Amino acid sequence: MKSTQYSEKTLDHFRNPRNVGVLEGDDVASGRVGNPTCGDLMEVFIKVEDDRIVDAKFRTFGCGSAIATSSMTTEMVKGMTLDEAMELTRDDVATELDGLPPIKMHCSNLAADALHEAIKAYRARENPDEAVPKKSDYEEPTCVIVGQDKFLDKGVYLEVSDLEDFSDQRVLVLHTGDESVEAALEITSQTDRVVLLTPEKEIVTTETLKDELARSSVKVITESRILEIRGEFEVEKVLVHNLDEDEQYELFVDAVIIIE
Amino acid sequence: MGDIKEVYLDYQSSKPVDPRVIDGMLPYFHERFGNASALHRVGDVATEALEESRRAIADYINADHDEIIFTSGATEANNMALIGYALKNKRKGNHIIISEVEHISIRNIAKYLEREGFDVSRVPVDKYGRVVLRKLERRIRDNTILISVQNANNEIGTIQPIAEVGKLAEEKGIAFHTDAVAAEGLLPIDVKRAGVHLMSLSSNDFYGPRGIGVLYMKKRYRVNPILIGGGQERGLRSGTEDIAGIVGMKLAVEIMKREMPGEVDRLQGYRDRLINTVLDEIPDSYLNGHPTERLASNAHFRFDGVEGEAMLLSFKDKGISVSTGSACTSKTLEPSHTLIATGLIHEEAHGSLQLTPGRFNEDNDIDRVLEVLPEVLTRIRGMSPIYNPKSR
Repeated sequence: MKSTQYSEKTLDHFRNPRNVGVLEGDDVASGRVGNPTCGDLMEVFIKVEDDRIVDAKFRTFGCGSAIATSSMTTEMVKGMTLDEAMELTRDDVATELDGLPPIKMHCSNLAADALHEAIKAYRARENPDEAVPKKSDYEEPTCVIVGQDKFLDKGVYLEVSDLEDFSDQRVLVLHTGDESVEAALEITSQTDRVVLLTPEKEIVTTETLKDELARSSVKVITESRILEIRGEFEVEKVLVHNLDEDEQYELFVDAVIIIE
Repeated sequence: MGDIKEVYLDYQSSKPVDPRVIDGMLPYFHERFGNASALHRVGDVATEALEESRRAIADYINADHDEIIFTSGATEANNMALIGYALKNKRKGNHIIISEVEHISIRNIAKYLEREGFDVSRVPVDKYGRVVLRKLERRIRDNTILISVQNANNEIGTIQPIAEVGKLAEEKGIAFHTDAVAAEGLLPIDVKRAGVHLMSLSSNDFYGPRGIGVLYMKKRYRVNPILIGGGQERGLRSGTEDIAGIVGMKLAVEIMKREMPGEVDRLQGYRDRLINTVLDEIPDSYLNGHPTERLASNAHFRFDGVEGEAMLLSFKDKGISVSTGSACTSKTLEPSHTLIATGLIHEEAHGSLQLTPGRFNEDNDIDRVLEVLPEVLTRIRGMSPIYNPKSR
C-alpha cells in the first residue's frame, strides 16, 4: 500500500479538519507529544466541566494521517468523561477513520497519547496531592564527546575568536550557557547554517537572548546530546542522540563549537 | 477532479514517452520483430536497427560504438558498473568511493558490495550538495579501484564537478563512474571532456521508453557481466535485445540533440520564475541546492513549520503532482539522505518540496502551482504548533 493510500474518511479529516486551534481558561488543560525531528508534533486542548470534556481542539505539525487522527480524536472525545477518554486508544481512532496504512499506525497516530497527557495534566492540577511527583528531567551532562580532542583545530572550536573561520560553514554550537547562545547569534553574520543543540526541552537563557534567537536563522535542536564527532582528518559530521525518542542519527557539519 | 487541468511537475521522477518516439518504435513490435542474433534476413533487420542505435547514442555522448552496452535501465547499468567492475578488479584492490548524495540504487549497490567484503568510503558534500574534492582526494588509498560520483543530483539538482573528479581519477589511475541520469537532456554529456570511464544512462530521462538504459564502458575499463546467458552485447549483457526499446532510446536521444538548447532555455525560465516568486512571496521559504550550479529544471524548496506529505496531499487534491523529501512519503520513513547530507536537520528535510518541470509543461502550469502554493502553505501552517513566522 502506498503511504498516501488513505481511506476517504481520513482524507476528509485531512481536507476539512475539525477543531483546529487552541483553548484557554482555568478549566482547560493541554497535552503535547511527538517531536518535530520525527516529523510529527501534536497538541491537544481539552475543556472540562464536571469531569466531562465539553470542548477539544488541536494543533498539529505532521503528515496527512497526523492531521486526520488529531481531528478525529478531538471529535470523539467531546462529551466523554475523563475516565472514558483515558480509555480511548490509538486503535480506536484508526478504526473510526476506517483504518490507516500499516506504516502510519505507529508514527502519526499520536493524538490519543496527547489527549491522555492533557487529561493527566488536568487531574494533576485539580488534585495536586494525588499527582505523582514528576521525576526531574535534569541529568548530569556527560562531558565526554568522542572525537573532541582528535578534531581540535580540525573543526572543533573551544572559543570563537575569528568569526570569519565560520564563513559559509555549517556550524553546530553546543548550548553550554549564555555565551554559547551569543556565539551562535554572532555566527549568523557569516553563515545561514547555525544549529544550537541542548539537552533541555528548550534553550534556557535570558529573555533578550531568547527573543533574538527566535528572530534569528539559528536552528534549535532540543533534548539532544552529541555522542561523537566524526570525519576523515577533519570534522564532517556528528552523532546526535535524541533523548526524548532515544534515537541516534548523524548530522553533517563543518564546525563544532564547545565553549566550556 | 472535474474540468481542472492536471498539472505534472515531477519530471525528475518519471517522464512521459515523446509521441514521436512511440511512432518510430511501432514497426519494431510486429513488422521488424526479428532477433538480432539470427542470421536470416529478419534477423539482419534487427541487427541493423540495433547497431544504428548504438552508433547514434555513442555519437551523442562522444564515445565509440563499441563502448555502448544496452541494459534494462540505469539501475542495471549502475549494477554492472559497480559490481561488474569491482569483481573484475578485485585483485587490484577492494576499496570503492561514492558520494553521500548518490541515487538510492548506487547507495544500495555499495551496501551490497560492503557485505561482499569490499570497503566503501562516502565523500561528504558541502551545504549546496556539491562533492568536496579535497575530501574526495583524502579518501583515495593505494587499493582504491573505483570512484562513483553522479553528474547531477536527482533531488536538489546540484551539478557535480565531474570533470575535476575525472581528472583526479585519471591521475591516480582509478576508474571513474558517473550516474548521468539526472543530467540527461539538461546538461551536455561528453565522456571524453568529462574524463569518464563508466557511465549510466536511462532511456526514460530522454523521454524514451522505460526498461532501456546504457552503460558506457571505455576501452580498457572492462567489467564482469552480471547477467549470464546467450552472450549478447559481446558477452557482457545476455538476453535477447529489446530492439523496439533500443530504437526508442535512439529516437529520444536524436530529438533531444536537436531540441535541447531551446528546451533548456524554456525550462530554465520556468525554474527561475518558480524560485524567484517563491523566495520573494512566501515567508520563511528557502532554496535547497546550489543557487547557480543547478539543473535547468530543478526548483527545490523547504518551508518552516510544514510537513511534506501534508503539502503533497494538498497539491494532489488540486490536481497537481509534485514531490517531497519528507520521511513520511518514503518506504523507510527516513528523510531524504541528500537533504540530510547537505546539513539540514530532520525537521527541515520534512518540509521540502521538489518541482521539476519538463518538455510538456506550459506557462499556465507554472501560474497554477504558484497560485495554489500560498493557499496550501497558509492552511497547513495555520494548523502547525511549531510555525513561528520569522519574517514580516
